[in-house]
Amino acid sequence: MYFAGVDIGSTMTKVVIIDESVRICGSVVGPTGAEHRRLAYKVMEKALQESALSFERICYVVATGYGRLNVPFADKQVTELTCHAKGVSTLFPGVRTAIDIGGQDVKGMKIINGELVDFVMNDKCAAGTGRFLEVLADALGVRVEDLGSISLKSSRKADISSICTIFAQQEAVSYLSQGTPLEDIVAGVHDAIASRVVGMVRKLKVEPDVVLTGGVAKNIGVVRAIEEKLGCKVLVPDNPLLSGAFGAAMLGRKIVLEALAKGEPIPRSERRLKEATFFS
Amino acid sequence: MLEDTLVIAEKTKAFDKVKELNQERTVRVKQLKAAGKKIIGYLCLHPVLEMLTAFDLVPFRVLGDMGERVTRADTCMPPMVCPFLRSCLDLALKDKYAFLDGVVMAHICDVGERMAHIWRTYKEYNYFYFMDVPHTVHPPALDAFKEEIKGFQSSLESFVGEKLRVEKLEEAIELHNEQRKLIRELYDLRKPAPPLITGSEVLQVIIALASIPVDEGNELLRRLITEVHERRPRLPEKKARLMIWGSVVDNVSLIEMMEGVGASVVMDDLCLGTRAYWESVEMTPDPLDGLAYRYLVGIRCPRTLRETALYRNKKDYAADLEHRFGYLRSYIREWNVKGVILQSVKYCDTHGYEVPAVKDYLQKLGVPSIYLEHDYSYGSLAPLRTRVQAFLEILK
Repeated sequence: MYFAGVDIGSTMTKVVIIDESVRICGSVVGPTGAEHRRLAYKVMEKALQESALSFERICYVVATGYGRLNVPFADKQVTELTCHAKGVSTLFPGVRTAIDIGGQDVKGMKIINGELVDFVMNDKCAAGTGRFLEVLADALGVRVEDLGSISLKSSRKADISSICTIFAQQEAVSYLSQGTPLEDIVAGVHDAIASRVVGMVRKLKVEPDVVLTGGVAKNIGVVRAIEEKLGCKVLVPDNPLLSGAFGAAMLGRKIVLEALAKGEPIPRSERRLKEATFFS
Repeated sequence: MLEDTLVIAEKTKAFDKVKELNQERTVRVKQLKAAGKKIIGYLCLHPVLEMLTAFDLVPFRVLGDMGERVTRADTCMPPMVCPFLRSCLDLALKDKYAFLDGVVMAHICDVGERMAHIWRTYKEYNYFYFMDVPHTVHPPALDAFKEEIKGFQSSLESFVGEKLRVEKLEEAIELHNEQRKLIRELYDLRKPAPPLITGSEVLQVIIALASIPVDEGNELLRRLITEVHERRPRLPEKKARLMIWGSVVDNVSLIEMMEGVGASVVMDDLCLGTRAYWESVEMTPDPLDGLAYRYLVGIRCPRTLRETALYRNKKDYAADLEHRFGYLRSYIREWNVKGVILQSVKYCDTHGYEVPAVKDYLQKLGVPSIYLEHDYSYGSLAPLRTRVQAFLEILK
């Protein structure tokens, strides 16, 4: 039996396919784009190809992320908070605090015994998100994926005082013009994002283990900055983008196995692997 | 679709009246004004409504409008303050409150105080009164507040041109107490599973009551309660019974959103809700004593700091929480609340101070809660929907 999780985030669409022994058979990360209503199924098709499976062999599909509505090939929609908590706690059973930094939102999750019990989220502001790093990388003329290694060379991080993306960009550019070393500016940017995220997550009363996921978790500079502020180690999964989709697949697996154990029919929807329309 | 279909319960005749008053709040007061009555606008919960009723003036609660973009108020008020009060002022500046004969405002919070002053600076009314309301419940504060109510009384005496007769005030207290009693009866209809009336319906009832004279409100409530009892079919069973706590909610869309994704909102700690009605006025030999106590101590808005257990020398956080929020325990037990949504408009420091403590208290009671912040606009509701859905997933 196979289970798929589809996580349609603001920037990236992620699909993970697992089997009943929780082995990952295939996973794909593709851009979400403005046409995600039409194109989400293409990412799914790619994941099926990678796993050498037909759609009919997928027993259950759970959709999550901000684009989770309008996924005609999903059996169920579950919020990204519940899916992330499930994914992270499967990978790290000792997790108590999970932080996910995505393209346009930041989530802090309190997890007890594998269950989500409380959460915080940013709203209406890109400060402290992947978008913040993209804007700053662009202003500094470096690739966003290089920020982490650049910042590790810093010996004296610059002080980026603003938490507003636009003002922080101005500050960074002004440091550049003053001749401040690039690595110090980048380290300052990471410190700013970490302050913002940690300030928000502290409301949950942070306890270890702390796990960081989302695209920004690939940036070692941000991971170190968060560790410094929290005063504890921050764990990062091998592929931090996939924990939401993985959690969604795990929830689908749980629903099916529970139904089978009770001898009940699997609560499927009338799913179709095709593009969404406004009338579906 | 993800959302449960929102089943619209069969609307009753009294409920049609409620709907009408929600579509156009001024429909009744404008008729009364045409017949010679004077309409007095009031802000928040602390203006003493019995006084207005005793002088045969019609109280009309000033509310904002989430659907109207704030354009005028930002020229005379900083933008980083309570968006509800900015909206109220904006409506006033756009002459949406020009039909009022007078306005009573009060020192609810700092923003409320300054907003009242700006309102008065820009708009002319035949009657204006600003009540100074202490922020603690210490005995000297109570004495001072009673004096303030006396001042309010004399200002009304000069406006109306006659002295207040004590029996008129006592009659008014009885009328308002009757409304409080009827509201508690209405809330009893939220206790069964499923409740007989939805959370968004109750909010609409309370908005209607804040738009008509108290005696007409009592009549409306009596009819509503009978009709809700007889209502068929019953409302559908929902996933979770929630209570909402926090700053003013004067638009049904927030509660409709919660009920649309599978919750039943069965109880509230809101100012268009229990805070406005829960406590009655005790009939004291001098009615002003009962009024002062009810309006200063009885109203559970966090703008007033309770005289807490911390007031004793030894610090005891648990006792402090119990003292300040013990009433929530009975709301939760009697209404069988499974989760609490704490919500506030942005920049509300009054509620912001309270959130960590309320969360701690609820955790102690073993009741899950989340905190949501919004900027008093329809646009801020969509991201909140995911949070509410995630909360319902936690409660499952």
